[in-house]
Amino acid sequence: MTMRLRSCLSRFLLVVPVLAGCVATADAYSEFQKFVQTRSGRAINCAMCHANSDGPDGAGFGQIGGLSPEEIGRLNQARAAFEPGQAVDSPILNKFGNHIVATIGKTRLLEFRNRPEELAAALGTTSDLDGDGIPDWREYLDGTHPLKKTDGNPWLLFVNNLSRYRFHVIMIVFATVLTIYGLANLLRGSSEVHDATQEPK
Amino acid sequence: MKLSTTIGLVADFVAERFPVTKMNFASMVAKKEVPVHKMSWAYYLGGLTLFFFIVQVVTGLMLLFYYEPTVSDAHASVEYITEYVSGGALVRNVHAWSSSAMILCVIAHLMTTFAMKAFEKPRELVWVSGVILLFLAFGFGFTGYLLPWNQIAVNATKVGLQSIEEVGNYLPGALSELPRILRETIQGEASVGQATLSRFYAIHVVVLPLMVMGLLGAHLFSVQLHGMSKGVDRESRKKEKFFPTFMVKDLTVWGVVFLVLFVVALCLPFESFFAYPLAEPYNPLGSTPEGIKPEWYFFFVYYPLELLPFWLIFLVMNVGAVVLLLVPWIFRGTSRKTLRTIAIAAAVYMVVITVFGQSIYEMLKGQ
Repeated sequence: MTMRLRSCLSRFLLVVPVLAGCVATADAYSEFQKFVQTRSGRAINCAMCHANSDGPDGAGFGQIGGLSPEEIGRLNQARAAFEPGQAVDSPILNKFGNHIVATIGKTRLLEFRNRPEELAAALGTTSDLDGDGIPDWREYLDGTHPLKKTDGNPWLLFVNNLSRYRFHVIMIVFATVLTIYGLANLLRGSSEVHDATQEPK
Repeated sequence: MKLSTTIGLVADFVAERFPVTKMNFASMVAKKEVPVHKMSWAYYLGGLTLFFFIVQVVTGLMLLFYYEPTVSDAHASVEYITEYVSGGALVRNVHAWSSSAMILCVIAHLMTTFAMKAFEKPRELVWVSGVILLFLAFGFGFTGYLLPWNQIAVNATKVGLQSIEEVGNYLPGALSELPRILRETIQGEASVGQATLSRFYAIHVVVLPLMVMGLLGAHLFSVQLHGMSKGVDRESRKKEKFFPTFMVKDLTVWGVVFLVLFVVALCLPFESFFAYPLAEPYNPLGSTPEGIKPEWYFFFVYYPLELLPFWLIFLVMNVGAVVLLLVPWIFRGTSRKTLRTIAIAAAVYMVVITVFGQSIYEMLKGQ
């Protein structure tokens, strides 16, 4: 009982200063969402960068109100990552959100709220977190999910996957051609046998 | 009319449509001939529809091994299939792409059959069974759409079911309650939930396949029994043997289409055409995301419903369905030229509303 009380108290003492001090910056940065939606014409939500598709406010999974003391520690560490290159593992962000903070730092991220179009260039050209062949900066501009390999610009996905699976495509072409060739000959042969048996003796 | 006379007429009608003398291998396969003319390409559409249906059955059976028809696990099981099952993403994509391709082929098959007047006596029942198969294909699309249990699936199903209840507003007296009862019967509970998913799942994987197999069997049997219709006004002098010449060509078309389907399914995820929030698990407490729409093959009724009064579209669609079923009798004396014009007009409407429906809607609504 005492242990439980102590655990609750320590959790309360950790949560209160965080909520009191940081709740003003807890909401998702809607400037980025508005920019992406206008530019791409695709509806997006907080799940592009956040762990929870409804954003960080609330008590659900990946939201401020539902974090454990250990997670709050990681959140505070991420919030203090003002310069780029620091290890970031915020529980309210997904892999892409953490990647943004780690790549450009919190300071520049806050600056980009007024110029969200510049975030794409700041992300660099090489990062492709979902491995679908479309770089993250492009997925950000297109309003597609940088962590879902089935989501992306359809044409780019098609070209990248065609290049990736060219061996499979060549093999299936061979298999299909040979199957059709075999079946066609089987049909022709059956027809000839049938005709031969029908001829008057 | 006496009962015996009526029975006699019905018996004659059936005997003419299912002639016992032609029910043999020689007549139905070995001696069957296919006319060769400028519309011959249309003879392959029925076979293609059959091909896509076979693909649907095979891939659908594969998906059944992993899919969980419960509201708590349906979305997760689909994600599991896509992410972790070997070849799961490919099988799911083939299923999704071939379902659209099947419906496209059914519609094209129906239009060319109409334009070629292939519903003429004694093929009336072939036409009627084909129209019912088209309705069943739409049923497959509607019930299958819900199964992934994501935002677009559940919300679009809600809109679809809600429109059934709206019909009650235009019916008199006690009849006005019928659509609500019908909706609740399909839905199984007050809102779209577990009972709805269970029912749609049962309809999608058991009821509709059984109905299609029975009807498709009768449809194909009738086609083989009566042979290909001449298709054009002047009887074609050039003909080719169905077995093996046409069958080999048909098989080659199947092969090419299979390759295209395989490459598209391998390289182009079906979901990539949706905004990703629509593919998230359905959240009953969350707000409805933007962009909820039915599948593309329902656009021909969806956009008119968005723009025009419900009763008008309901009336037109019902009259349209009845006319479609009675085509062999209504258009018995109509020339092929007129039929072709009607078919082209219908095709143009379908293409325009499907491709430009959203733009037309935004233009007319001033968005």
